[in-house]
Amino acid sequence: MKPGEQRLTREQVGGIVKMLGLTTEREFDCGECLQHVSEFAEAQLAARPVGEVIAKVEQHLALCPECREEYEALRKILAAKIL
Amino acid sequence: MTESEINWPAALRATDSGEQAAAVAALRERLHNGLRIALNGRGDVGEAHLEDFAQESLLRVLDRLDQFQGRSKFTTWAQAIALNVAFTELRRKRWQDVSLEALLAEGGGLAEPAMIADDVLGADEDRVRLVTVLRLAIENDLTPKQRAAILGELREMPFDQIVELLGTSRSAGYKMLHDARRALKQRLQEAGITGADIQNAFNL
Repeated sequence: MKPGEQRLTREQVGGIVKMLGLTTEREFDCGECLQHVSEFAEAQLAARPVGEVIAKVEQHLALCPECREEYEALRKILAAKIL
Repeated sequence: MTESEINWPAALRATDSGEQAAAVAALRERLHNGLRIALNGRGDVGEAHLEDFAQESLLRVLDRLDQFQGRSKFTTWAQAIALNVAFTELRRKRWQDVSLEALLAEGGGLAEPAMIADDVLGADEDRVRLVTVLRLAIENDLTPKQRAAILGELREMPFDQIVELLGTSRSAGYKMLHDARRALKQRLQEAGITGADIQNAFNL
């Protein structure tokens, strides 16, 4: 693609700016998120408050569409009550 | 004993081969059922895919047994790994034909004025200034690989694919993106645009 042929959309540029707003000095990466996301999902389902460590899962999910996609799928499975 | 009362890590490590085989089979079935629910309705997933994902997931879970710390149900933890296995593979297939050269070339264009219009976020002075500062920061403060990674993400390219193309690990790739975001954020802050301003502008 030559520059300009696929100009970034408002949503894409807004997405960059939003990500910057959510960026903190210390964040979970995808591996750390995966390690803790099951605890976060169970807490969310039970409406339990989450601790500081697990809150980082929530922050990572806001920044990472792939981990969020997997989290939503996990919620779907938990809601089906097969685990 | 019901399945919900199974001590999965112990059963999966059992020295009694019969007990261990039963636990492995039960876990595989759980993962398979979970994947069926999660991926239901996707046109690119058939029964053979579910079988493959369940088997690959089972091996991954068994390999990581020592990492389970008991902070959630074992089956929830294992299912999260299974979903990661399945979605990673599905994303990889979708983007397998993209080359590093194409990604770097696109990333290089990220700083071009033609790529990000001044008024893309709105025509008022503050938003035009925000976009101008952002574009300068992308041009001056990021490496070609950081620009390529950001553009890849904007194009919804899977992160695994991006780091594979860039020849780095997943954790190093995430750090590279994190460093890029921090650099851009710092540049905005130096220009007097704070995180609060951004959050207010976008109702975060």
